[in-house]
Amino acid sequence: MTPPLHFVIVGNGVAGMEAAVALRAREPQAKITVVSEESDHFFSRTALMYVLAGQLRHQDTEPLERDAYARLSLERVRARAVGLDSAGRRLRLSGGQELPYDRLLLACGSRPRPAPWPGAELAGVGHFVTLQDLAWLEAELHGGPSRGGPPPRPDAHLERSAPDSPYQPRPVAARRRGHLARQAVVVGGGLIGIEVVEVMLAAGLRPHFVIREDWFWPMAIDAAEGAWITQRLAGHGVRVHLGRGVAAMEGQDGLVTGLRTDDGALLPADVVVVAIGVVPNTGWLAGAGLDLDPSGGVRVGPDLSTSAPGVFAAGDCAAVPGADGRPRVEQLWYTARDQGRIAARAMLGDPVRYERGLPYNSAKLMDIEYTTVGEVWTGPAPDAAAWEWTLVEEGRVRSSTRICGRGDQVVGFNLLGRRWDHSVLARFIEERRDLSWVVQRLPQAAFDTELVPPLRVPADRLAAARALARPPQG
Amino acid sequence: MDQQGQQGLDSPWRSAWRSRGGPAWLIAALLIGFYVDLYWFDHLEPVARALGLRSKWFLYGALYSLGMVGGAVFYLRRHGNSRYHRVRIATNVGVQVLLAWTLPFVMPLLGGTEFYPSYFWPLKYDLLLPDTLWQLPLYLSIYGLVGSLLLSPLLAFFLGKRWYCSWICGCGGLANTFGDPWRHLTSKSTASWRFEKAAIHTVLVAVVFMTAVVVLKGLVGHDHPTFAAFADGTKQVYGFLVGSVLAGVVGTGLYPLLGPRTWCRNFCPMAAILGLVQKLGRFHIRVKPDMCISCGNCSAVCEMGIDVRAYAQSNQSFTRAACVGCGMCAHVCPRGVLRLENRVTVLGDKARQGLVTLDL
Ligand SMILES: Cc1cc2nc3c(=O)[nH]c(=O)nc-3n(C[C@H](O)[C@H](O)[C@H](O)COP(=O)(O)OP(=O)(O)OC[C@H]3O[C@@H](n4cnc5c(N)ncnc54)[C@H](O)[C@@H]3O)c2cc1C
Ligand code: SF4
Repeated sequence: MTPPLHFVIVGNGVAGMEAAVALRAREPQAKITVVSEESDHFFSRTALMYVLAGQLRHQDTEPLERDAYARLSLERVRARAVGLDSAGRRLRLSGGQELPYDRLLLACGSRPRPAPWPGAELAGVGHFVTLQDLAWLEAELHGGPSRGGPPPRPDAHLERSAPDSPYQPRPVAARRRGHLARQAVVVGGGLIGIEVVEVMLAAGLRPHFVIREDWFWPMAIDAAEGAWITQRLAGHGVRVHLGRGVAAMEGQDGLVTGLRTDDGALLPADVVVVAIGVVPNTGWLAGAGLDLDPSGGVRVGPDLSTSAPGVFAAGDCAAVPGADGRPRVEQLWYTARDQGRIAARAMLGDPVRYERGLPYNSAKLMDIEYTTVGEVWTGPAPDAAAWEWTLVEEGRVRSSTRICGRGDQVVGFNLLGRRWDHSVLARFIEERRDLSWVVQRLPQAAFDTELVPPLRVPADRLAAARALARPPQG
Repeated sequence: MDQQGQQGLDSPWRSAWRSRGGPAWLIAALLIGFYVDLYWFDHLEPVARALGLRSKWFLYGALYSLGMVGGAVFYLRRHGNSRYHRVRIATNVGVQVLLAWTLPFVMPLLGGTEFYPSYFWPLKYDLLLPDTLWQLPLYLSIYGLVGSLLLSPLLAFFLGKRWYCSWICGCGGLANTFGDPWRHLTSKSTASWRFEKAAIHTVLVAVVFMTAVVVLKGLVGHDHPTFAAFADGTKQVYGFLVGSVLAGVVGTGLYPLLGPRTWCRNFCPMAAILGLVQKLGRFHIRVKPDMCISCGNCSAVCEMGIDVRAYAQSNQSFTRAACVGCGMCAHVCPRGVLRLENRVTVLGDKARQGLVTLDL
């Protein structure tokens, strides 16, 4: 009889834990080890902002009950992986320990993109991606964790970490300054940036929000939609600076005092949160002989296997071939979850392929609900056959419904202010429906709360939809 | 304006009075003290008289209504951006102030009967007892019987138990206004769920037993004085344990420590019946597929201790007997994953896609 396989998973985020659960479901006997530097338990990274605000306890953000490791017989190692010997099938841990494996899953996620400006090392400057970032920002804004308490054993990894780890604690300026942050700057017009801004508002601050682009999140939001969001931010007292870059973070005695924008203005700050994106957390894999893409993502095949035998990758750290075959790193909860499940099956030898399906996402931009499905653009139409149809409501409900299409087919939706069932909209796209058909059936996809007046399409917008449903031939 | 989601963030775990700190214990002690005095002493009687109220119970009703109105103001400041919550809370407060206080206070002054039309058996456990039914005018007796035995379950079948627990009932109303700041404290542990199942069904059996015994006494009590005494004792014990200790002292007094629905979740026999009907009926919470980010907000705000996230993250639309349909899980979900619905779904797939539905 062959001995049971040893599966090792680096990372207990959503990708790693989905894989662990799926592996255990299929292999009751196998040995499964989960290595995680950051935390004892799987937690929802997407919920960090709610813990920072004190809306949730850390424990509330754990999708699995705390006994999951015992119940699933998973071994937990709280240490940093520092290297990989892919020929000898060994994972090297900080402190010199080596972990032999039969199959290895890299699910080591993202780290914040470092600030490329002078002053990034000042106390009071940091990011908002890891639990350690959360602890730092809790200390700057509130003096420490909420009454819900910190995560269990927050420092258990420190003896087996490394100086370049994103899970190292950051120095807290508030402690040395003697008062909590009163002035704050958030850099980076993306999802994490706006989440931090919202928490700061709840904490009674009026942060500066510095956005290099001409409006918030132009990757997903067009100019008109962006104007609405800017207006909403400003209405809540956020000082939004559009089209401005950063020159430097300024400080005194190692403490940040402000942020200088590239037009020379100085925004005073006790705390600066840099939220300019994340990059694959794969620095420790340099020299392991894996095929990495320029951003650091671990290149995988359609079955999520890497260039090394027995090694797989999933989630934020993986560069996965898209529909066009080109590798792409996607930092999404949904893709990480699905890839974790697929990777588990691939590790068991199933002939599986990761199929991306139509892209979708949702978010809350302050109090504006946001849903997107399929292909949308945020600037000029990408080609001659492309068009868009927009319906803006400014009555009791404020909403924006933007449908993108090409030729006589609808290809994507960008929706703000109302709730929608993305799966119904995705079906409209997959069935290659035309705009007129889709607009008349929008109620099928509505997911509005009861008693909210439904979306009505006025006659002129309906006529416009009919016209676009049959584009002129030629 | 009509918005669908939470407006601004809430910070219960940064306030001691909302997270079982010293002030929370103090508020609990005051509430418990108040209830003990109300039920078993007569200090409030002269106060009530001085205010021109017929009894301390009307003083209690007035304070109760005030608590609801005050709580509603704070609640609506936070969640009034949603029409569902505006209409729901306004209805609930309106029912309390008009039907559960003003009407029973005014009617006797006009020569009518003191009657509480928003309460039904078995929550109002003496409504169906022979003494009560004989004393009431015929139309009110019929109202009580039909309302308790037919109308309530029927509405729960079509609309879910929320029609009562979150729109009409005074206990639910106080929980969702005055008690709302503590809703995140309801335990989600498996142990608390086991306790709930055992406790609430025990009370249900108890109220049915008590009612049956007292009705039987009405029929044969004259000839069996020992049985009559037993029936009276049963009613007294039930009234003391369930009506006073569990509904008042424990149910409301422990708001700041155990969350505001301790009574509704664990002990209310009306909730037990409506919950069973709800399981068979049309109300459910629909889960949008694959959109949950497992953040935990929905479970945290569930005042009935339901782990909503467990359903949401596994794409499972669901109906739970405990759910009172307050709608807060859907309200706080930052990804709009949840929707409260009453709908008949037939024809499998098509229905699931929302093509063949019969919205009520
Ligand atoms: C504030 C914030 C909000 C977000 N909101 C959303 C959202 O609303 N929607 C959405 O789709 N996505 C969101 N995301 C992105 C989403 O959280 C990620 O895509 C997802 O968590 C990635 O999961 P993962 O399992 O790949 O990696 P991670 O969750 O990052 O897990 C990485 C794991 O690897 C471990 N690890 C890493 N390196 C090592 C090492 N060298 N040794 C040992 N262990 C190691 C860590 O301990 C950790 O357990 C958000 C991200 C952030 C930071
Ligand atoms: S359903 Fe919504 S609130 Fe609940 S865990 Fe999922 S995303 Fe969070």
